[in-house]
Amino acid sequence: MRTLIIGGGHSAYFAANAIKEIDPEGKLIMIEFTTEKVNVLSKTFPFAEVILQEIDGVEEYIKNNGSILDAVVAATESDSLNLRYCKVAKESAIPLTISILNNPLNREIFLKEGITYIIDPYSVIPVELSEILGSPMNIIYKSPKNRILITSIRLSEEKLLQKLRKELSRSLEISAIFVSQSGEITNTFRDIDLGGRAYLIGAQEKLEKILKMVKR
Amino acid sequence: MEVSVIFPTKNREQFVKRAVRTAFKAKNVSEVIVVDGGSQDKTLEVAEREGAKAIVQSRLSYPGKGIAMRDGAYLATGDVLVYLDIDIKNMTPDFVEKLAEPVIEGEADFVKGCFERAAGRVTELVAKPLLRMFYPELARFKQPLSGEIAGVRKLFYKVEFEQGWGVDVGLLIDLHKLGARVVERDIGYKDHDMKPLHALTDMAYEVAGAILRRAIRDQKTDPQWAEKYLRGVRTIDLGLESGGGFV
Repeated sequence: MRTLIIGGGHSAYFAANAIKEIDPEGKLIMIEFTTEKVNVLSKTFPFAEVILQEIDGVEEYIKNNGSILDAVVAATESDSLNLRYCKVAKESAIPLTISILNNPLNREIFLKEGITYIIDPYSVIPVELSEILGSPMNIIYKSPKNRILITSIRLSEEKLLQKLRKELSRSLEISAIFVSQSGEITNTFRDIDLGGRAYLIGAQEKLEKILKMVKR
Repeated sequence: MEVSVIFPTKNREQFVKRAVRTAFKAKNVSEVIVVDGGSQDKTLEVAEREGAKAIVQSRLSYPGKGIAMRDGAYLATGDVLVYLDIDIKNMTPDFVEKLAEPVIEGEADFVKGCFERAAGRVTELVAKPLLRMFYPELARFKQPLSGEIAGVRKLFYKVEFEQGWGVDVGLLIDLHKLGARVVERDIGYKDHDMKPLHALTDMAYEVAGAILRRAIRDQKTDPQWAEKYLRGVRTIDLGLESGGGFV
């Protein structure tokens, strides 16, 4: 795979390491705007081709190389630039256009522009906080591509346990694992006690319906 | 030449409609951009409805005006950028045209707007004395902190934007240093709410910090002297602990 990462900051650093691990034989190209950062990137990622480019020049690069690129990861420190580059990548028919957000509040704006693969590095904060602080219901993960949802529910009442049991017995597409208060892991309701937690995985649409039913 | 008008703003829902419509009426304007600082009101929604390009600034740390200005420049596609405060009550297309004209006519690369109003307190008590000390060639500007500016878009990509209130004076110094032709243009009377005195404290610190950081960078003052001079004013980050670096 031929992947272009734009940017030389924090997000680009993690993106480059991840891509090397996912696709060790692939070709990685990195574009940055300052000589200092290009020098650092060249030393840090010797497996990548690192290019110095002006801000406007990146768009030209994407257009000229659109036919040979498989993926573009916009990972600059400005969401404005990420949006600009993603739009050009989409217009150039590059199969995968991915943006790493600097500000989660821009998600809707990117979606409206047709950028569907958006990585929000901050999305883990509410999830992990609510897990740590013991929130009764958590969305742990939403996959961007397959619309899969992973969620957890604290089984705090007998009524909730019964409702969940009923819903799960009717939905074969949902998988569940239960963790008891003492930390034992099981995949049957039989052994679960109140105060434990259920972890559910399934199609987003179906699982969201179940969560609604259980919440009532 | 196409002009992009940029409004860095936050929680100014009531001004957005009029400002965006007015900007679109000005000559050569091809796009209007609203960069939002994380509003709680409908600033973004109104901006989009009025046909402006809208984006939330990449960092939300207060005050972040400089980040909003930078993000506006990065989203823009026009040849000339015009920045305006969104809450100018008497805004007309003339404001945009007066600022953009010297750039379009090829007379200037960067234009600072000046206007009639009671003298700005941070301008008179902080910015002007410090500019006179370190950058006397820029002391002629009546409103060095004016947020009403215009310039060649690509020129803005060659300088670093201060994150906060120091951005306007920072751009003035850096673009001048870069060799840009900088002029001041009178845009007339500006009807604009003035900030209460207590709200100017942070602004004054940031403006002073922006000028002093550049004075150190440009070797116009001794970093140790500056630190001694400013001892006690801890909010001014001169980057001395990290080796006198430029932020």
